[in-house]
Amino acid sequence: MQRPAQLKISSQFGVTRIIPLTKPVFAIGRKAENDLQLLSDSVSRQHAEILYQDDAYFIVDVGSKRGTFVNDQRVQRCALQHLDRVRIGGDEDQQIIFLDDTVENASAIFDSSPHLRLSSTTNDRNREASANEELQKLSRFIEVNQAFKFSMTPDDVLCLIVDAAIEITGAERGFLMLRNGKGDLEFKVARDRNRNWLIGNEFSMSRSVVEEAFKQNHSVIINDASDPRYDLPRHSVRHLELRSIACIPLRRFQMSENMDATTVLKRDVIGVLYVDSQVSSGTLSETSVRLLESLAFEATKSLENVRLMHEEQEKKSLESELNMARQVQITLSPTGFNEPSHFGVSALSVPSRYVGGDFYDLIPISDDRSVFVLGDVSGKGIAAALLAAMAQGALQVQFHSALPLTSVITSINKLLVQRSASNKFITLFCGELDAHGHFTYINAGHNPPILARNDGSIETLTTRSVVLGAFDFAAYHPLQTRLNPGDVVVMYTDGVTEAVNAANEMYGEERLTALVREQAGLSAEGIKSMILEDVIRFTQGLPQGDDITMIVLKMKAEISRK
Amino acid sequence: MEINIRVSGHVTIIELSGNLIIGRSEESLREAVNTLISSEQKNLLLNLADVAIIDSSGIGAMIKSFTSVRAVEGNFKILKPSRMAHQLLTITGLLSVLEIFEDESSAISSF
Repeated sequence: MQRPAQLKISSQFGVTRIIPLTKPVFAIGRKAENDLQLLSDSVSRQHAEILYQDDAYFIVDVGSKRGTFVNDQRVQRCALQHLDRVRIGGDEDQQIIFLDDTVENASAIFDSSPHLRLSSTTNDRNREASANEELQKLSRFIEVNQAFKFSMTPDDVLCLIVDAAIEITGAERGFLMLRNGKGDLEFKVARDRNRNWLIGNEFSMSRSVVEEAFKQNHSVIINDASDPRYDLPRHSVRHLELRSIACIPLRRFQMSENMDATTVLKRDVIGVLYVDSQVSSGTLSETSVRLLESLAFEATKSLENVRLMHEEQEKKSLESELNMARQVQITLSPTGFNEPSHFGVSALSVPSRYVGGDFYDLIPISDDRSVFVLGDVSGKGIAAALLAAMAQGALQVQFHSALPLTSVITSINKLLVQRSASNKFITLFCGELDAHGHFTYINAGHNPPILARNDGSIETLTTRSVVLGAFDFAAYHPLQTRLNPGDVVVMYTDGVTEAVNAANEMYGEERLTALVREQAGLSAEGIKSMILEDVIRFTQGLPQGDDITMIVLKMKAEISRK
Repeated sequence: MEINIRVSGHVTIIELSGNLIIGRSEESLREAVNTLISSEQKNLLLNLADVAIIDSSGIGAMIKSFTSVRAVEGNFKILKPSRMAHQLLTITGLLSVLEIFEDESSAISSF
């Protein structure tokens, strides 16, 4: 009889699972009752079946809406060959490959029960055959759980491994230890053959054997611990009157999986599987040791898969929280700024992570006064975003109370000195524009904005004031300039000028200044888009290293002169 | 980043080599300054001659060092910043707060 064929299912996340086709009829569909449940909308509730008839496998479409495909051909009923690609409806998320590399002398198991039931046998030959079966059951059980429920925790898997190891070897006790963060071994599971957890002094075991397996990365098998051939200085072995011990290293394999071959790139020992026995001598035959080693291999793989899946789930929940934070930050940015007739303004902020430490605001104070604020909190991520939100809120309140620029910035600085960590600071540019083109500004340690005059000359806007939040004694004095029709002011954060390309060159102020001068004829919106496009072109798709924020201000022709 | 500390008269010179950036390097500068303050060394000169890159967290560490030293009525000054570091100190307005020297002897005699 043949070993059952398998389906190899690779998800878009890179998780691959193997499902043995262990039933004469293997159902596929969206409903939970199916043997393979696919959650895509394009999969019908009862979609297809794989039948095992006369030593061959057939796939049959059972009346699906979107069809069943083998190697991209729609089929009604089709014999499956080794390495055939199966597609269920329009489900492109999972790649399904049919595997039928038959191995002789292995027995098929047609058992629909997902419960693991290990049987005990005394005869070693029977034990081998039975253990082989158990191994497949264990492996399938784990796969089944992964595939349908994701409910198995790594701890559940560890227990299964130990129980299976005790069954395979006929040992009395089994332990599983994993390496912790410090590199030391830590007990994870200690069980006896009745599946009871061991407690307290029942933990005593041969440490030296464990150390050897772990450090030397090889299996240690002792059939008769009292045999002088082993030259055992191992005090504990005699003390515990142990007769048989097997200790197998658990190795993590980092693999590169191709269709046909699996290449092992790297292996490291993540723990050990240990079984021992006081009574029965000679239980650990070559075959049971080999089985134990393959169990360790399969188990580590499954353990890794379960761990990856749990990590994936945790990552997803963290991601959704960060997405919410991002939404909150986006709502803090101004929307629907009503442009007065004498200037146009366009702004954007692109955080390099979910949330950023850059912020900007456009605050209409009265009919003829508007304030522009652009800030950058030192550091990155959530800590920076929280401080940015506080500063932005405080600035809004202060500006709406119609205080002069100097008072606002001085009091914000004092607030930040008191309320933020002393190594955190904010660089900030803020400017106030009135209806006659008077532009009053304070630059607190920020990259000087570029002022491109309509005659082609370039100025930078700096007041040489120190950053905010650092020194409570700092003073902030504004400067004033007059903006004329056609003049452009580009306020930006260092994410623009310090954007880096593959050759590790920075975008730089010169490039930005040249571009602004060249494109100053465009609208505020047009100039902003042009800069962003140019930075993206420059970095050639390299990931963005820092938040990018800009406000572009362009004076219109119809300006009243006073 | 490496930190070497030597004493010249009544001034302690903190010599950095490497990058003063977010993470380990800015933390070690802050730790070093705290240790010096707790051992009553309050005249500190930070030598930046061998520092290639400083980021905003590095600037933050310098600000923190300055304020901690000032809180115990000491002095914190800068020696030989690179061209890039000098530019960064200019933009952030720290030139108006931090004293900067190009040679060690005049820096030491300024304390």
